Amino acid sequence: MQQHSDRQRLIVVGNGMAGINTVEQILKLAPEAYRITVFGSEPYPNYNRIQLSYVLEKSKSIDEIILNSREWYAENDIELHTGTTVTHIDTAAKTVKTADGADTPYDKLILATGSRPFMLPVPGADKQGIVGFRDIADCETMLEAAGKYRKAAVIGGGLLGLEAAKGLLKLGMDVTVVHLLGELMERQLDPTASHLLQQELELQGLKFAMGQKTEEFLGGERVSGIRFGDGSTLEAEFVVMAVGIRPNVELARASGIETNRGIVVDDLLRTSAEGVYAVGECNEHRGVSYGLVAPLFEQGAVLAKHLCGVDTAPYAGSVVSTQLKISGVEVFSAGEFMDASDLTVVRMHDEWRRIYKKVLIRGGVIVGGVLVGDSSQSARLQQWIRTGAVMNDEYHAIVMGAAAVSAGSGVAELADEEIVCGCNGVTKKMIVEAIRERELTTVDEIKLTTGATRSCGGCKPVVEQILKLTLGDKYDSAAAKQAGICDCTPLSRDEVVTAIKEKGLITSKEVRYALDWHNKEGCSKCRPALNYYLGMIWPQEHADEKDSRFVNERMHGNIQKDGTFGVVPRMYGGVTTPEDLRLIADVAVKYNVKLVKVTGGQRLDLLGVKREDLPAIWSDLGMPSGYAYAKALRTVKTCVGSQFCRFGTKDSMGMGIVLEKKYERLDMPAKFKMAVNGCPRNCAESSTKDIGIVGNEGAWEIYVGGNGGIKARLAELLCKVKTDEELIEIISAFMQYYRETGKYLERTSDWIERVGLEKVKAVIVEDAAGRKALADRMEAALEQVREPWQEILDNPNLRERLFGEIRIPAGGPKE
Amino acid sequence: MTREQLEAAGYRLVGNVEQFPARIGKLVRLGESEIAVFKTTNGELFALENRSPGPRGGTIVDGIVSGGVLYDPICDWRIGLADGAVQAPDCGQVAVYPVRLVDGDVYIGRP
Ligand SMILES: Cc1cc2nc3c(=O)[nH]c(=O)nc-3n(C[C@H](O)[C@H](O)[C@H](O)COP(=O)(O)OP(=O)(O)OC[C@H]3O[C@@H](n4cnc5c(N)ncnc54)[C@H](O)[C@@H]3O)c2cc1C
Ligand code: SF4
Repeated sequence: MQQHSDRQRLIVVGNGMAGINTVEQILKLAPEAYRITVFGSEPYPNYNRIQLSYVLEKSKSIDEIILNSREWYAENDIELHTGTTVTHIDTAAKTVKTADGADTPYDKLILATGSRPFMLPVPGADKQGIVGFRDIADCETMLEAAGKYRKAAVIGGGLLGLEAAKGLLKLGMDVTVVHLLGELMERQLDPTASHLLQQELELQGLKFAMGQKTEEFLGGERVSGIRFGDGSTLEAEFVVMAVGIRPNVELARASGIETNRGIVVDDLLRTSAEGVYAVGECNEHRGVSYGLVAPLFEQGAVLAKHLCGVDTAPYAGSVVSTQLKISGVEVFSAGEFMDASDLTVVRMHDEWRRIYKKVLIRGGVIVGGVLVGDSSQSARLQQWIRTGAVMNDEYHAIVMGAAAVSAGSGVAELADEEIVCGCNGVTKKMIVEAIRERELTTVDEIKLTTGATRSCGGCKPVVEQILKLTLGDKYDSAAAKQAGICDCTPLSRDEVVTAIKEKGLITSKEVRYALDWHNKEGCSKCRPALNYYLGMIWPQEHADEKDSRFVNERMHGNIQKDGTFGVVPRMYGGVTTPEDLRLIADVAVKYNVKLVKVTGGQRLDLLGVKREDLPAIWSDLGMPSGYAYAKALRTVKTCVGSQFCRFGTKDSMGMGIVLEKKYERLDMPAKFKMAVNGCPRNCAESSTKDIGIVGNEGAWEIYVGGNGGIKARLAELLCKVKTDEELIEIISAFMQYYRETGKYLERTSDWIERVGLEKVKAVIVEDAAGRKALADRMEAALEQVREPWQEILDNPNLRERLFGEIRIPAGGPKE
Repeated sequence: MTREQLEAAGYRLVGNVEQFPARIGKLVRLGESEIAVFKTTNGELFALENRSPGPRGGTIVDGIVSGGVLYDPICDWRIGLADGAVQAPDCGQVAVYPVRLVDGDVYIGRP
């Protein structure tokens, strides 16, 4: 390594996404060129600001969004000063001053100070409980507020405001989005798309105050509400301001560097001061300040090359695209989006499926697009816009969904330097080189080596096309490899299941050898899946393989992140007795459980049980296992029904208990939930269950394929039946059909979209003989199930094998 | 090494090889230490500290064993049984204890 003193000193002010991305690119191009020092006001290493929305909705932790750990800085010999703000730059002496008074000299300086939320200057804006949404500290304030307050207002119906609102809603707050205009995301969407988006979000529970101008914040020390321009008010104990951002220019301005809205830079990202550059949200290039990551990575690439003396085309601005990161809502927009007289517009609006697609074309060239409800082609569309592709029949078919996608379209013309994965700043060239040099053949391998597709996954279709294009003829075998159920085999679920039946394979080891798995021992994906398929196909012959079960199903408790377990006793139909409740309470006290929780499925969860206590706790409870952890029937949720409710027409509790007792313990491809209601008021929420049953005067309605989880989906009506016997036969046939055709871990909501409701109806409702055969196979399978808690208590060998511990006292001699 | 040499080197007798089922982790509490012991399909024994290297913490004894690799039950990370190293794309390290077999008796040493 060169001596430090030979190297030029590079200082980066701002430890955010743009600054560190530029540093990463410099390290790749010329690792020895600079001695790098980074100053950042925040107390964290570099993290993925985009994903703060996930931290807010608690689907990711802060640790999970760190992009470069402190070790990374150390390994690359970068001096990192977190929690340190730069207060002045002496551009003549070439030094920076930090808040602690220290001066540090530089040869080159990069300003990457980002931006800050714009706070509306209205009376009361300084009250407590009003925050912006920018960094981890804001996110923490919001999480804390959600625990204390109920009524929240988010001012601003743009990308950031909507993500904040959805996050707060997920945290249980009552959230109203206040927007000045009549349409959400008006800078990215046309009115039709905005209204669709609003409807979708209303269904998810958000409220809207549209066309409302915020005039004043009400309350004493702390905000209690908002008064609007029309004199009306809104109660709000917590307010998030998301009305726009302002580039952080104070430091530059105070140091005599030319600023406008942002720090003014030329096409090589140079500011007015010699040796000082600005990259990211803090700059203004050709009059534009960008507020998204893709442009700043493009800037970073140009700046890094310039600083490393590598030839580069100057930065000429970016076409921006936006994708809303809200679960259950797909919204994408890029380039131009409003109709205009010189544009040709291809438009599709399907009100029934709530899909809206629009492609804008000027003089034959694609210049913009909007996708709502189905953004699967967003990456391609973005590409065409960026490269100025000419609209043709094939592209039309791809976006509008009329034809299968053909190979390689679009990516061939893509420039090498084009960023394919915006989240991780991976260019086409990096992907192509990785494929060639390391002989990659799958998207997963590309993900591991380059990081592309690792964050939001939106670029996967393009990465796949690049793979196809690069491999050419060799791609076919690679494609087959991708279809495999895991990395150990190229075979798909259907091929594996067919082979098991045809070749009479009984153990998963036989399957792995007979079907030539690359990894003869299997992995954590295929082992549980094979165990399930074998048990489903050979209910009598196949012996359950405990070593292939995920811990929850091996130990029959739910593993928690601290290594303790959750225990849920079966409480059929959500009904219990005072005696059972007392017993559960006594056991909870005896084993010192940390928390007793009523689950979403109306059961009691004893949390924080020690692993070694599991057998004893079951023995003391003397109740069957509630399977709250299993790929099996979890709960049948019921309402009060005709036994007590004054509206109930059917005995929902009675039916729920019958169903839960009948189908409990049977392995399914994924977790399975049911609900039974006594009348259409639907108090047990059957519309979000795999099977939801609604009692009517003289009939039962059966709904299927509902899901209240990651991908919410409303159940659809399968059929109506008159008698309890018919009900049970239909349910048996449905569950068995799903068992036989579902992929392991595929919920009914995904399965039914794959198979089609019509097909399911044809098999289960219309074909009486087929239904009977399915129901009979279900009975055969049900004969094999055992109560696992009792089985483990009764079988000392099994108990020893799964739970037995070996204790050797410290220090003493051998036993 | 003989039993005496092993004991002199700080190894402790923890049981017979028959007590360790294939591909199902066994928890050994040696004094204060919690050690997860795994026997592979080939009959090889490995002992690792029973702590997940992932950011969420937790234990590893209940992971899925595949050849010389353990899939940790909390994050599904792949941990090499022999060296305790977390495999790409994740990274981390689990402490490994040396294991010796003498006539079917299992000895575990200091990490
Ligand atoms: C919640 C949220 C969601 C988002 N979602 C998306 C999305 O989906 N897609 C997308 O493309 N973009 C999204 N963005 C925008 C994206 O995060 C920004 O474009 C990007 O982070 C800007 O990078 P930057 O480096 O310019 O600024 P930042 O990442 O903000 O980094 C600037 C850093 O400089 C520090 N700093 C400032 N002044 C000083 C000083 N004087 N001394 C020392 N340090 C200083 C700041 O503390 C900050 O850490 C989102 C932003 C937020 C807040
Ligand atoms: S769903 Fe109908 S029967 Fe059941 S509790 Fe509600 S109102 Fe009563």
